[in-house]
Amino acid sequence: MRSATFVPASLGHTTPLNGLRALWAVVRREWMIFIRYPSWVVSLFIWPIIFPMGYILTARALSGVDGSGLAQFKLNTGLTEYVGYMAVGTMIWMWQNVVLWNVGGALRNEQMRGTLESNWLSPTWRFAYLLGASVPQLVSMLSMLAVSGFEYAFIFGVKFNGSLWLTMLVVLAAIPSVYGLGFAFASLVITMKESNAFVFLVRGIVMVFCGVTYPLAIQPQWMQNVAEWLPQTYIIHAVRSAALSTEGFQGIAYDLQMLLIFGVFWLTLGMLVFAWMERRARQTGAIGQY
Amino acid sequence: MQTLSEPTLVSHLLALFALIRKDWKQYWRYPLNAISSVFHPLVWIAPVYFMGLAFSANGKAEGFAQYSGTTDFMSFILLGTVLENFINAVFWGMGYALKNDMDSGVMESNWLTPIPRLLILIGHSVTNLIVTAITSASMLLFGGLIFGFHPTGDILAAFLPIIPMMLGLYGFGFAFAALVMLMREANAMVDMSSFLVQIFSGANFPVNALPRYLLPVALALPLTYGLDSVRARLIGTTPLLPLNTEMVLLVVFMFVMLWIGTWSFRALERRVRVLGTLGQH
Repeated sequence: MRSATFVPASLGHTTPLNGLRALWAVVRREWMIFIRYPSWVVSLFIWPIIFPMGYILTARALSGVDGSGLAQFKLNTGLTEYVGYMAVGTMIWMWQNVVLWNVGGALRNEQMRGTLESNWLSPTWRFAYLLGASVPQLVSMLSMLAVSGFEYAFIFGVKFNGSLWLTMLVVLAAIPSVYGLGFAFASLVITMKESNAFVFLVRGIVMVFCGVTYPLAIQPQWMQNVAEWLPQTYIIHAVRSAALSTEGFQGIAYDLQMLLIFGVFWLTLGMLVFAWMERRARQTGAIGQY
Repeated sequence: MQTLSEPTLVSHLLALFALIRKDWKQYWRYPLNAISSVFHPLVWIAPVYFMGLAFSANGKAEGFAQYSGTTDFMSFILLGTVLENFINAVFWGMGYALKNDMDSGVMESNWLTPIPRLLILIGHSVTNLIVTAITSASMLLFGGLIFGFHPTGDILAAFLPIIPMMLGLYGFGFAFAALVMLMREANAMVDMSSFLVQIFSGANFPVNALPRYLLPVALALPLTYGLDSVRARLIGTTPLLPLNTEMVLLVVFMFVMLWIGTWSFRALERRVRVLGTLGQH
C-alpha cells in the first residue's frame, strides 16, 4: 500500500538543503542553550581580565619592589614590557581552550545527555552536529576576542600600536587550525570517552610549549623544536606582531603562510577522524555508551 | 525500615560511606582523567617556571625575594599550587557535584532521601579530598624532581594552619553549593570563583605584590593567611602577620565561615524547594 510506506521526502531523500536545515537547527539549539545560562555570557567578559591577571601579577611580584627583576627580564628577553605580551598570549590560549571544551566536547556532551545515539539515527548530515555546535561558539569567541582587546586597553593599559586589520587577518587565518583541531578532538573524545584528560593534555602542550607568557628563546632547544610544529605558536606570535608592534605585514607573513598550511592539515584531519569515528561507531554500536 | 523512618548516626555514616564509594568508583572509572589530574597542575606551573627564569639571574629571583623573603620562587609556587588543589577540591567537589547530579537526573531523588543535605555535600567532597591528597603528594614529588622543592621548616607545624583553613573552606563550599543549586549552573561559576580566590589568596605570588586597591580583597580572605602561614613555616617566607595572630584569625574565620555557610545553604535550599526547581537544569 503506497500510503502505508510513505516516507517524507526530507527523510527518505537527504539533500544538501536538508543538511543545511539540520545544521541551522543545531546552530539554533546550541545558541539557545548558550544564552540559557547567563553566567556563560558573563564569563566572556570576566575571563579575559582574570586569566591574564594571574600571570601579570606573578610577573609583577617577580619584578620586585625596586624593579630589579624587571631589569633582569629585559636583559634576558629583550622585551621592554610584559603586560601586553602576556595578555595576547593568554587570550589566544583561552580561545583554543574554549574551543577544546565546547567544540571538542560537543558530541561528548550529547553522549552524556543521552541524545547522541537518537540523533545519530536520524537521516541527517552527521557532520552538522559538530559544525552546528561550532558556529555559535565561533560567534561568542570572536566577541570575546573583541571584548578582550577593549579590556586590555582600558584596564591593563595595553598599547595596541599595530593594525586592527592585520590582527583580524591573523584571527581569520587561525580559524581553520583552531577549529580543525576541535573537530578531530571531538571525534576522538567520544570514542575514548575521557574528555578532561585530553583537554588537559592538549591545552597543557599549548601552555607549556607555545610561549604564552614568555619568549620561546627562554626554553631549551628541544622545546623550541616542538613549538615549531604547533599552530598556536604562530598564532600567538602573529597576533602579538600585528596588534602590538608596527612591523606591518612583513612581521606576520611567515606566520600566515604556516597557519594556512596548518589550517588545511587540521581541517582535513578533523574531517577524516570524524568519518573514521562515524564508521567505527556503527560497527561497535558503542556510541551511546559513556 | 529503621534506617529510613528513624535515621541514626550509623545510618548517616552508612549513607556517607555509600556516597564516597560511588564517587570513588566513578572517579577511577576514567583512569586517564585520574592520571592527568596529577600532571595537570604541573602544566600550570611550567609557564611560571620559565617566567621566573626570565626574571632571575643565576636561578635566583632577587626581585621576588623583596616581596616574599625567599628567592626560591618555585618552592613558593609549588606549595601554593598544592594548597590551591585543596581549595579546588572543595569548590568542585561540592558545587560541581551537585550540578552533575542535576544533569544526570538523580538530584531530586537523592534530595528526597532522609539524609541531612549537608552530609550529601560533605560526602561529595570527601573523595575529591582523598584524591587531591594523593595527587598533591605525587605532584610535589614530580614537581620537586623537575623544578626543585626545598622545604626548610617543620612539616608538622606547617600542617597546623591547614586544619582551620580547610574547615573554613567547607563553610564557604556550603554557601557556594547552594548558589549553584539556585542558579542551576556550575562550570562558569565554579571556574571563575575558584580562580579569583586563588589569585587573591596568593597561590602563585605574595599578596603584598598586589596593587594597593586590590590588597584589601586579599586580606579579607582567610585562605590568604592559611597559605601565608604554611609557607612561612615550611619554606621560611616572611609572613604578613605574626604566625600566632594568623592562627587566631584562621580559627575565627573558620567558625564564622562555617556559620555563614550553613545558614546560607539552609536558606537557599529552602528557596529552591519552594520554587520547585530542584530537578531542573
